[in-house]
Amino acid sequence: MSTAVAHRPGLHSWLTLIRCEAKMVVRDTAGLVVPIGLPLLILVMNASAAGDEEITAGRTALDLYILPLVFTIVTATIGIINMPSFLAYYRRSGILRRLAVTPASPAMVLIAQVVVSLIQAILGIALAFAVAVLAFGAHLPVDLGPAVGIVALSIAAMYALGMVVAALAPTPNSAVAIGLVGFFGLGALGGLFGGRDSLPGPLATLGEWLPFGASVEALSNAWAGQPVEAVHLLSLAVSAVLGAGIAAMFFRWD
Amino acid sequence: MSEPAILAEGLHKQYGDTVAVDDISLRVERGETLGILGMNGAGKTTTVELIAGLRAPDRGSVRVLGLDPRRDRGAVRQVLGVQLQHAYLHGALTVVELLELYRSFYPDPRSTEELLELVELTGQRKTRFEKLSGGQQQRLSIALALAGRPQAVILDELTTGLDPRARRRMWAAVESLREETVILVSHAMEEVERLCDRVALIDAGRILASGTPAELVAQSGAPNLDEAFVALTGKELEIEEESA
Repeated sequence: MSTAVAHRPGLHSWLTLIRCEAKMVVRDTAGLVVPIGLPLLILVMNASAAGDEEITAGRTALDLYILPLVFTIVTATIGIINMPSFLAYYRRSGILRRLAVTPASPAMVLIAQVVVSLIQAILGIALAFAVAVLAFGAHLPVDLGPAVGIVALSIAAMYALGMVVAALAPTPNSAVAIGLVGFFGLGALGGLFGGRDSLPGPLATLGEWLPFGASVEALSNAWAGQPVEAVHLLSLAVSAVLGAGIAAMFFRWD
Repeated sequence: MSEPAILAEGLHKQYGDTVAVDDISLRVERGETLGILGMNGAGKTTTVELIAGLRAPDRGSVRVLGLDPRRDRGAVRQVLGVQLQHAYLHGALTVVELLELYRSFYPDPRSTEELLELVELTGQRKTRFEKLSGGQQQRLSIALALAGRPQAVILDELTTGLDPRARRRMWAAVESLREETVILVSHAMEEVERLCDRVALIDAGRILASGTPAELVAQSGAPNLDEAFVALTGKELEIEEESA
């Protein structure tokens, strides 16, 4: 008779997997350019012009317009572009199938992946903020607590969208393409290429309701110490919940 | 009567209009090495995927060491090691990092050194998976399947695409598995003849014949297993072709 007892991989196994996923990310140097390098580039290109001009509550255009955009770019690139492309690679190469025949569940891989990309997001944001403060005299948000909360909500919303892409894309390559198009589409409507004010009225409003624009607007308000509008929080929360739901319904491991 | 290590009864699996596995039953005793021999597309891989619980059969049942591989998934994963055909691993991780990772999934794993020696990869311990040769990747894949001290092992196309020297090394690694129950999927006659206690010959999703290699030869009236395969299936076995 078999004496096998269901044994689940313990904490040691989780930490090993997280460490392995982190090594995968660090060794894929090109993958770090977009989430860490692109926001820094946008920051540096815009910061010197925006740094001195005070708008309200001792906060400059750098604080109110550039940093919210830079932070949102970090969360969106990691959530919408990197996450689905990593999953696509794992699926295409059979890594998930291989893990499916071990006691580790593929869900473990997914969670380890999220932990590692969270660390990336935090590093990307911290680096951008440090450069903004040290080189261009940026300030902390007036409402620091809410600002941190909005970044967290923004991360949740972008990951959920990324998971939808990973779940619905018919092929691995299309996951990467859809992620890129999604990122630039949401970005274009949300102020990635200049203020939304220059967009036609209905598009500007739409952009504000979509998660990229909502994240930028909400962060901007928190930075200025103004009340954050419910529509922006709602947009991020609905994206997170709806996205997670759709992804869970349609997700497949191979 | 003692319970077999692996028991499959009346397995049936269809993809759309294509019947991949059509009423296959297998019995593998503890410590025995069973070869599943057939051409590409004969249903070998689907059969072992059903046994491993990667797919659900349309009909039929599977017991692995008394457990249902789909209902008792967690318990079966502890006692069954699987080497999949065409499975890739985290490319940027080194041999030792991958061994450490897969070892961490099990309560009482083999030591990293033991696994390295078993598949002769001690010299490549710091090499990334993507930099290993095909044969070295295959050997690492076997080591990972054995990391958790499984009581039963499934090896799918162990030596496809390997050069003769790498193939002999793989065979030596499998021959060292004396206590484990092994299912070896292959289309290489020499491999099956050398490693397997019994052989099940599969064609078009059905078992055409089974027995020891000697019995199959005798049953077909052919001079060797190669000829026996041709006599029993009416088909020429493709030799060492890289399967898709």
